[in-house]
Amino acid sequence: MSRRRLIAVPILICILLASMILAVALGPTSISIWSLFNPEITWTIIWSPETGLIIRPLGYDADWMILWEIRTPRAIAAALVGCALAVAGTAMQGLFKNSMADPYILGTSAGGSLGAALSIVLFAGAGLPIFAFVGAAIATFTVYTIARQGGKIPVETLLLSGVALSMLLSAFLSFLMYTSGRSLHQIMFWLMGGFWNVSWDDVFVAILIPIGCVAIYLYARDINIISLGEEDAIHLGVNVERLKQILLFVSAFLTGIAVSIAGAIGFVGLVTPHVMRLIVGPDHRILLPAAALAGGILLVWSDTLTRTFAGDMPVGILTACFGAPFFIYLLRSRMKA
Amino acid sequence: MKSVEIINIDVSYGAKKILEAISLYADKGEILGIIGPNGSGKTTLLKAMSRIVAPDSGEVRLNDQSLATFNFRELAQQIAVVPQDIAISFDYTVREIVMMGRHPYIGRLSSETARDLEVCDRAMHLTNVAHLADSSVHEISGGERQRVLIARALTQEPKVLLLDEATSNLDISHQIEILNIIRDLTGSVTVISVFHDLNLAACYCDRLIMLKEKKIVAVGEPEDVLTRETLKAVYGIDALVKPHPLTGRPYVLPIYERTAKDRPTERVHVVCGGGMGSDLLYALHKEGFRVSAGVLTVLDTDYATVTALGIPCVAEAPFCAISPDARSELERCIDEAHAVVITAMPIGWGNIENIRILERRRNKPIILLNSKTQSFQDFTGGEAEAIVRGLLDRGAVEAERVDRVLQILRETA
Repeated sequence: MSRRRLIAVPILICILLASMILAVALGPTSISIWSLFNPEITWTIIWSPETGLIIRPLGYDADWMILWEIRTPRAIAAALVGCALAVAGTAMQGLFKNSMADPYILGTSAGGSLGAALSIVLFAGAGLPIFAFVGAAIATFTVYTIARQGGKIPVETLLLSGVALSMLLSAFLSFLMYTSGRSLHQIMFWLMGGFWNVSWDDVFVAILIPIGCVAIYLYARDINIISLGEEDAIHLGVNVERLKQILLFVSAFLTGIAVSIAGAIGFVGLVTPHVMRLIVGPDHRILLPAAALAGGILLVWSDTLTRTFAGDMPVGILTACFGAPFFIYLLRSRMKA
Repeated sequence: MKSVEIINIDVSYGAKKILEAISLYADKGEILGIIGPNGSGKTTLLKAMSRIVAPDSGEVRLNDQSLATFNFRELAQQIAVVPQDIAISFDYTVREIVMMGRHPYIGRLSSETARDLEVCDRAMHLTNVAHLADSSVHEISGGERQRVLIARALTQEPKVLLLDEATSNLDISHQIEILNIIRDLTGSVTVISVFHDLNLAACYCDRLIMLKEKKIVAVGEPEDVLTRETLKAVYGIDALVKPHPLTGRPYVLPIYERTAKDRPTERVHVVCGGGMGSDLLYALHKEGFRVSAGVLTVLDTDYATVTALGIPCVAEAPFCAISPDARSELERCIDEAHAVVITAMPIGWGNIENIRILERRRNKPIILLNSKTQSFQDFTGGEAEAIVRGLLDRGAVEAERVDRVLQILRETA
């Protein structure tokens, strides 16, 4: 582990924090960010079953409302969802020894979206994060089982089974939208992904994301080894079957949480690990934190840009606009190799 | 002391049986080679030892303890495996790959200690990849990458090292370099290796195990396992097995072509010696001529050739003149032969009878194989040369090359 590469982590932390502060400051309504730090404000913390947790200063005004109730939770949620998707993507790429794996491409996000939609249609949104996680987990294990051939997971079958399952799950989602007209708009949101109705409640769900990231980080060295191949990993003392279960489970957990907050946002988990691997190298002990931070930065900026310049367009549209060409580029360079 | 012991295992992939009733052992510190044709189960046998595949029945034991009782980390501290090149998806450096060998020793929440770094450095020095430590594994050559994998295996500080044709993708200089590194380890490490190249196996292994169709067909020291008979039975090839002139280990020389169509009517006698007749004898044998040879002394290189090819030959004790018995045997051979070929050779008082006898057989077609690089050497003070000249005067044909000899023989038939 070279020191030069290690320095990337504190730099990325600074960039992420600066991005989040700018994200709070930027928007269609121009408000001075310094009003957040007004020393004359007295804070109150209120909790009741009806309102949930409310942290707000006494006597707040409309500017305050925008900064604190809308932009701040939104910036935090975007950063954490970006972390979750990037870490899940990095873990999947290492596990499948394939730099084209990503929770969106492998159908994990679609599974999470379907789970979330089911919870809306059947239970009016109760237990949504749990539904999203269960959907994501089932989708991941299904793709994994379909793609596995005699102990190996060939790239082509992995991508194709991910695409096939995504299409099937999208069909189910469309069916739900078609039959239950009343929650149409809500379900549309899961398909496109965005942060427009994020509140502090979502941020509290997102607290689970760092826990998942730490869980995966504990296996960073194991991911390095399994990326050489499963047999090789067994020779080096890795309990491969258990590691695969843990990584798939936690990846599905992270993706499920991300989907429950922001819907199916694609390609963050694909692009980020790739770019970070070029900068900090493939050692997952640095790559995982670097990708997590970069994923956060990417999504904070994507959200800020769409929110500011595109009239709150779903951010999933923007990430797909740069992610899909990147995916095609990877596919082409693979074919050349 | 037995380091690895396999007791009567059967292994199958699904319904397909790969190994049947295999029992073997490897002593501590020895090099055990596994040889056999493709599909005989060599790699599977190695996988059973590294617990990649579990046997249907029977047991694999490591240091008198069942392999199944080890957990993954414990096993990786005991057994290291060097695969045949591996595809590394990501751009790791050589040092990162080698350091992965320390994985079974490092706790989940710890990082490498100074000792881990030291073991890693020592392994890289031993396999001569230290200068590549910071290079990407994608920038180095196949031979270097193989040495990196060996360094990684050594970093595991194993008691048993398993190699799966670890050198077969390399050129001969790298094969020798790597096998020398591995041989230098023995004493402390038991090495079990699958070999494709029989001569490398014979040269480096203390004992060999030969597999054929799921079963062990021969076990023992290389000279007991690599014999003409086992090679014929297991690989279906005809090969000569000779002691290597320097190491004394058996050396396998395949006979590349099989005998072509028979030409039973044409019998040829070859007078040769000093190794000058070997290529001709082989060519005649290959083309299906019925060949006889002699008189040759049993120490002659050409005598080794005729015995290897199964050609009838009139033999004489070494350093003796041709005896009356041998002489009459030679006369019989020449009378039965359709033609006689004399190859350029050293002629002395010991073997001059071989050509003198031809002076009295005027009707016999005689061909002299006398090329620019290969000519008669006369150690009889002119007498042999006179005989040869006499033969030419009476109609013997000269040929410069072996294929010309074959052509003349076909024409005169």
